[in-house]
Amino acid sequence: MSTASAPVRRSPFKKWCDQNTGLFFLIPWILGFLIFKFYPFASSLYYSFTDMNFFKGIREYGIMNYIDIFTEKETRTALLITFKYAFITVPLKLVFALFIAYILNFKIKFVNLFRTVYYIPSILGGSVAIAVLWRALFRDTGVINTMLGFFGIQGPDWLADRTWALFIICLLRVWQFGSAMVLFLAALKGVSVDLYEAATIDGASKTRQFFSITVPMITPVIFYNLVTQIAQAFQEFNGPYIITGGGPRNSTTLVALLVYNYAFKENEMGMACALAWVMFVIVMVLTVIAFSSQKHWVYYAD
Amino acid sequence: MKKAIALALAGVMSVGLLAGCGSTGNSSSASTGTDAATGETSTTSSGAGSLSISWWGGDSRHTAYQNALAAFTEETGIQVDTHYGAWSGWEDQTSAALYSGNAEDVMQVNWNWLSQYSGDGSKFVDLNEYSDIIDLSQFPQSTLDACTVAGKLQALPVSMTGRIFYWNMNTFKEAGIEEVPSTLDDLYAAGEAFKTKLGDDYYPLAMGEYDRMLLMTFYLESTYGKPWVEDNTLQYTVEEIATGIDFIQSLEDNHVIPSLQTMNAAGIDGNNSIDKSEQWINGMYAGIFEWDSSATKYKGSLADPSGFTVGNEIKFGDKANGGFSKVSMGLAITETCQDKEAAAQLINFLLNGDGAGIMGSECGIPNSASGLAAAEAAGAVDELVLEANTKVMQFVDFQLDPTYESNDLKANPGGVYTDVFGGYSYGEYTDSTEAATDLYDGVTEALEDAAKG
Repeated sequence: MSTASAPVRRSPFKKWCDQNTGLFFLIPWILGFLIFKFYPFASSLYYSFTDMNFFKGIREYGIMNYIDIFTEKETRTALLITFKYAFITVPLKLVFALFIAYILNFKIKFVNLFRTVYYIPSILGGSVAIAVLWRALFRDTGVINTMLGFFGIQGPDWLADRTWALFIICLLRVWQFGSAMVLFLAALKGVSVDLYEAATIDGASKTRQFFSITVPMITPVIFYNLVTQIAQAFQEFNGPYIITGGGPRNSTTLVALLVYNYAFKENEMGMACALAWVMFVIVMVLTVIAFSSQKHWVYYAD
Repeated sequence: MKKAIALALAGVMSVGLLAGCGSTGNSSSASTGTDAATGETSTTSSGAGSLSISWWGGDSRHTAYQNALAAFTEETGIQVDTHYGAWSGWEDQTSAALYSGNAEDVMQVNWNWLSQYSGDGSKFVDLNEYSDIIDLSQFPQSTLDACTVAGKLQALPVSMTGRIFYWNMNTFKEAGIEEVPSTLDDLYAAGEAFKTKLGDDYYPLAMGEYDRMLLMTFYLESTYGKPWVEDNTLQYTVEEIATGIDFIQSLEDNHVIPSLQTMNAAGIDGNNSIDKSEQWINGMYAGIFEWDSSATKYKGSLADPSGFTVGNEIKFGDKANGGFSKVSMGLAITETCQDKEAAAQLINFLLNGDGAGIMGSECGIPNSASGLAAAEAAGAVDELVLEANTKVMQFVDFQLDPTYESNDLKANPGGVYTDVFGGYSYGEYTDSTEAATDLYDGVTEALEDAAKG
């Protein structure tokens, strides 16, 4: 004789709710995304095809902003400088972060202290205070030139010379290598010791082991760092805004700063949106290229 | 999986690039006041009897405003929230606040903002409607006219101002010069004396890009005897402007002013003004060409202010004195203010009433007759500011066109003045005619843009 109880009848609504409980948990995020990400994202695309000005409204529609971006000296220069900045800082930062991570992967005394010390710039690096400090370091009578003076070297006008100023901005970025370093460190820890032992038995040198074992095994993390660093580099704002204000002679006016200038100094929101979209497309294209290339150089164990 | 995570992350970061660029509404979205015109006592949205006010300036101006506002609260019971800061970056945030309807009830405004941000009269209240609260008869009609845009008196003039030289005579005396420079030849002689007696790092005068534009305008107006702009039209040809640029360059060549590269290296740029530089503080840059209301700020930053002296205006040509005066700043009520009568009461207190006695000459010599009397009675008129203002007003021939200070022209970086004078000082132009052409085109474009409204 069966003792099973009769099945509980649930209303379709309750059934739907039970099946989509997860959706309710996601609603805050979805709302936040729609309001604070998607809407600005979509409206910026719309405004990029207008001459939207804060105080004059929209008087014209079309692709004039995009034409201006590729024909006007100011925007072309900013794009060029941004590319230069990204292609200097990203490789340097990755190489430096990997180098330090490699050193900190050895069992040395006070290694935890060193890891903390090297990570600190990543926490502080983007702050206004550090940018102000950077400015004080590299002004004509700043600490750097004073130190060079001890050795009889006349330091350049770091922040007033068009070439050196960009170098200083790049240096600030490279200095913030801590987060990439931590990821590299985690990746290095994950490389099997067996591989190194086998290579040692085969007579491989440390250098050979680094390039033939370490680097291939951590390529997924190199790839990840590469993609994120490219995206970050193209969005750099704080450094040039606070240290040089985009000068001298616009030599450090990166695109993000130019977007700000268009939007909030000249109130040309349409142009600012168009420029932001151009940057978006550039970052997307570079990301796609990076993803397309990974089958040639990124090794996934799984 | 890893590919998907990395792709998603990159995508989100890229979206972040664009997220800040959204905007809403349109340019004429100012909300309307509620009951100001009815004459009824109204309450503010932030609680009964409270207002907000914003201003920019230095520490001494902040203190003066705070003291005046405390006196206003004591007299009326109306609380006043404050928002203030230095000039650097102030216009950026103010324009955004005005556009978004988040600006304070009462604003200290730059004169050109009236036409630039409220050319259609949508952002600021017509103060003529509050003439029963504000005593407009205390102001010269010409200055009220200067603040009337789109048929509305959008602000009350706080003071009139113009540019004049200030000298640190302590350094001049070290260079063997006892008298303030009064001619162009005096300037050249000072440059030579500074270089030979004090060294390459010492200059009798320091000027940023906008200062150079202003001094060039003085030079041109004096030399050619006509205003820079009249009837919204630039009055100078490219050839005439080129002579002005050559004049500014001659100051650099004769060691009167440092190059802009030298100033940038010292940390002086669009973000940091001369008064904050070590060179000014220690007397290595011994002169400035500044607004007459800025005397206390520049004097206050000197390590040894004993030599700070108001100079003489210099007449560079023989057609006119040259130079100009303008409304330095105004006080305006934003259209978003909920209690416009209380705001009008506050403005009257600050410009015509007891507040003017407390404010003194912190915003320049009061334009209001009763305000000036109150300031003088309170002994709050700084002698330096008064001396500078008197000299300026006696000297100048012309009024300034509001477009002169348009952000398109004046912004640093990005403005036409910055590009032309910066570019010329950095050697980016082949000759002064090329630079003059850029300046001519930029100013003409700005004027055309202003005419469109």
